[in-house]
Amino acid sequence: MSELTHTNIHAYLAELEDIPGTRVYTTKRARQGYWLNQFAMSLMKAENRKAWKADEAAYIADWPMTDAQRDAVLARDYNLLLDLGGNIYYLAKVFSTDGLSFLQAVSTMTGMSTEDYQTMMINGGRSPIGLRSIKEGT
Amino acid sequence: MARITAGVGTSHVPAIGAAIDLGKTQEPYWKPVFDGYEWTKKWIEAEKPDVIILVYNDHATAFDMDIIPTFAIACSDSFKPADEGWGPRKVPDIHNHADLAWHIAQSCILDEFDMTIVNNIDLDHGLTVPLSLMFGQPDQWPCKIIPIAVNVVTYPPPSGNRCYGLGEAIARAVESFDEDLNVQIWGTGGMSHQLQGPRAGLINPDWDQKFLDNLTQDPELLRAIPHIEYLRETGSEGIEMVMWLIMRGALGEKIKELHRHYHVPASNTAVGHIVLEKDT
Repeated sequence: MSELTHTNIHAYLAELEDIPGTRVYTTKRARQGYWLNQFAMSLMKAENRKAWKADEAAYIADWPMTDAQRDAVLARDYNLLLDLGGNIYYLAKVFSTDGLSFLQAVSTMTGMSTEDYQTMMINGGRSPIGLRSIKEGT
Repeated sequence: MARITAGVGTSHVPAIGAAIDLGKTQEPYWKPVFDGYEWTKKWIEAEKPDVIILVYNDHATAFDMDIIPTFAIACSDSFKPADEGWGPRKVPDIHNHADLAWHIAQSCILDEFDMTIVNNIDLDHGLTVPLSLMFGQPDQWPCKIIPIAVNVVTYPPPSGNRCYGLGEAIARAVESFDEDLNVQIWGTGGMSHQLQGPRAGLINPDWDQKFLDNLTQDPELLRAIPHIEYLRETGSEGIEMVMWLIMRGALGEKIKELHRHYHVPASNTAVGHIVLEKDT
């Protein structure tokens, strides 16, 4: 089994796009979201968090990202940010600065209230049934 | 000679670290998570490993978009817990067995696993939460820690097969190190969880339990699991389980399962851990 098996990169990438409600952080998204994610990363520093909180629009204006990315950050539209190349571990710097936990922030992407989402998790989480493949509906 | 004696697989959920740091471990929500580690804490106190090779992933903490190493080994003498945006966890500094770390780096590279060597790195919850789960809240960690960081954030991460092979190479490196050391290897992260998109909150206990079963019953099957299966069955962040295969690969053929624990949820995540002993 340690034999190297060559992967067809196109088939590999196509499968990654076949998962319902999921944006896999591919190299394409990493390139698209480079500055968006590096902006988010800057909030790891206390002085940057202070400047961001004082004037979000002014702070983000200096980062060379698209207007759509800027607007989605200001609106905290995390699903849109995933579409625009954001990665959740980077976006976490934004919602942590807002004082939100992972559970609270993640729930905003599901269309559920935080309370309903937490109840779902306590009851065992979301089943994969019907959510494995867009094409197959499994 | 140095020898690998045991392996541990465990989740590294950041909220678990916060629960420990804020003294919430006995609250009804958290108690079942921590109760599962009681057996393991006693076990490791008796085992007294000299060194733990701790396989984890950095979560946009030390590595940002500027540098994305697939396999990195930290080789400096000591490390600080990272400030992940709300101040560093109040846990002890982490001390390396730097001679063994450098030896593993050189051995693995000669064995065709081209490791990135890192000397200046703060360590995030991926590494410190497993230490807290296993050792509680001591003034000093009771052994040396060799951090190995794996990219599981930007696709593609390494294949499960590659991770398993790296584990085998690490075992060869340890066995060729001329100092009498009891070494453990831990694989961390997982189990099923998804932190993004409308499908967030996905949990798959059947798949997770089968994964735990096959660590002893059919590891060859585990090393062949493609990325897409982790994504479909265990959520977008379940891919972290490839790091458990580095641990499994390092243990060799004959192993015994000593303990297992599984609980849903901790925050968004299924928490699992397993203790595997090398059969000599």
